[in-house]
Amino acid sequence: MGKFPPSMRGAKLPMNALINKTPSQPHPLTENFPYWADKKIPKKKPTKLPSEMTSQLPAITFNPPSLSEAKTLFNQVISTPGKTPLDLRFCNSVLQSFSSRATLQDSILFLNHMIKTHPSFSPDSSTYNVLLVQSCKANDFSISSVHQVLNYMSSQGFPPNKVSTDVAVRTLCSCGREEDAIELVKDLSGKNLVPDSYTYNFLVRQLVRNRELSTVNSFIKEMREGFGIQPDLVTYTIMIDNVCNRKNLREATRLLGVLSEEGYKPDCYVYNTIMKGHCMLSQSGEVLDVYEKMKEEGVEPDLVTYNTLIYGLSKSGRVKEAKKFLGIMTEMGHFPDAVTYTSLMNGMCREGDALGALALLGEMEAKGCNPNVCTYNTLLHGLCKARLLDKGIELYKVMQEGGMKLETGCYGTFVRALCRKGRVAEAYEVFDYAVESKSMTDVAAYSTLESTLKWLKKAREQGLAA
Amino acid sequence: MLPQRMKKVITDNPKQLADLIDLVNLPSTLREFTGQSQTSRLGCFTRVWSYIKENKLQDPNNKNLVNCDAKLKQILLGKGQVDLAELPMLIKLHFPKQQK
Repeated sequence: MGKFPPSMRGAKLPMNALINKTPSQPHPLTENFPYWADKKIPKKKPTKLPSEMTSQLPAITFNPPSLSEAKTLFNQVISTPGKTPLDLRFCNSVLQSFSSRATLQDSILFLNHMIKTHPSFSPDSSTYNVLLVQSCKANDFSISSVHQVLNYMSSQGFPPNKVSTDVAVRTLCSCGREEDAIELVKDLSGKNLVPDSYTYNFLVRQLVRNRELSTVNSFIKEMREGFGIQPDLVTYTIMIDNVCNRKNLREATRLLGVLSEEGYKPDCYVYNTIMKGHCMLSQSGEVLDVYEKMKEEGVEPDLVTYNTLIYGLSKSGRVKEAKKFLGIMTEMGHFPDAVTYTSLMNGMCREGDALGALALLGEMEAKGCNPNVCTYNTLLHGLCKARLLDKGIELYKVMQEGGMKLETGCYGTFVRALCRKGRVAEAYEVFDYAVESKSMTDVAAYSTLESTLKWLKKAREQGLAA
Repeated sequence: MLPQRMKKVITDNPKQLADLIDLVNLPSTLREFTGQSQTSRLGCFTRVWSYIKENKLQDPNNKNLVNCDAKLKQILLGKGQVDLAELPMLIKLHFPKQQK
């Protein structure tokens, strides 16, 4: 309680006046936080989103979703002259607040009532999309309510278009109802309303993330055979990315073949994705092959390509070659960024050349490239592994001043290194810092400390540690 | 990354984690020290460690040692001086393994 939406603070709104006048009103416009404060609003294309326009307006919370009370309240609001214009946005906001609590049937009745009693309000597609979003959120295990709204829209002279399909699909997916989204897309495609490539690719992306590969493949097949929708290059990139993340490179290669058969020429993004897949499996030879192939095909490598390349080579211990590419990328006009340098430092630390990595930090700063948290963590990790504890502590001090978070692995290595030297008190301080900076959960930080101290006790008994 | 790691910790070691964060009825000595009747092992450790810091009980010559005051002695087996490295083990003594 007591949390005002920012737009309501200090604003003299007719509703506030209304509460003061009629304190006995059973369900005044409560000052509860708006309903979207505790719900995640899914990421959507801003142009297509009706709720985004309305979200800046004050929220009216209808506690018990009673239709008659809402009607009375609305009548009172429109009959009280105030500073807030009773325009489309206001009405949408009222409708949204009501429908988020009430049943769909009541919401439609309420909208009809609003149109009747407030003649200057002429709902447009954004109003109907409010209803559509709510019908998608109401989980009643079928999409009948979605269809109900779509039919209602048609009857009001706003037949569903690609925007409404997109809104519905995105809302359904955000509620974890991918199957219903597929069903809806198929239904609408049957009615000659095929999804555009954004909606289609969005759905494919959701499916590869959250469902089995077979579901995705059958969806693509059905869309192709039933409605003639071909997957485009973006679709293939999404799918290749997914199989690469699952380390299924055979499937990725197959998809690459399919893509060429369909007449698409793989672009930079496709190659970068495949390269990333090889990196994850530490197949540096294949990584280089992809790079060669890109050059053969005349695809211009971009910064991401070089970063991936350097990362892959460093990871599999071919730091010398990685360094060579640092020169090549500069020649090609791409300036190495923090990611490039961090990958390279990572490789050098793996080889045990932590001092060289530290020198590289100086070099990158001299070139005007700012290191990030990841860079410092990599270096600290490498320094501790290379038993250069004093340098590590110096670096840690810098991190502390900058308020940077520690990564779990790096924290563990650092604590172990400190304890090995018998600097337990400092390890405790690092523990405090990790907790204080919220680098990890208290439990994780403490478990590491505890197990390290346990190990220290054993090591001391055997005379291995100070 | 963290939630994933956390998940891994939990799936790997559900028991160990539960030992650390489950609230436990405290024995009377600890109850006096913390002023609470229930706490977790992690909460107890944080409490003792911040008590040491607040009262500056670390030995000025060797920060790894803690010179216990009367209150701390009561819960740490009556030792006059405790190594920081032993602290988690000493606290663990108050939290016997539960037989289930």
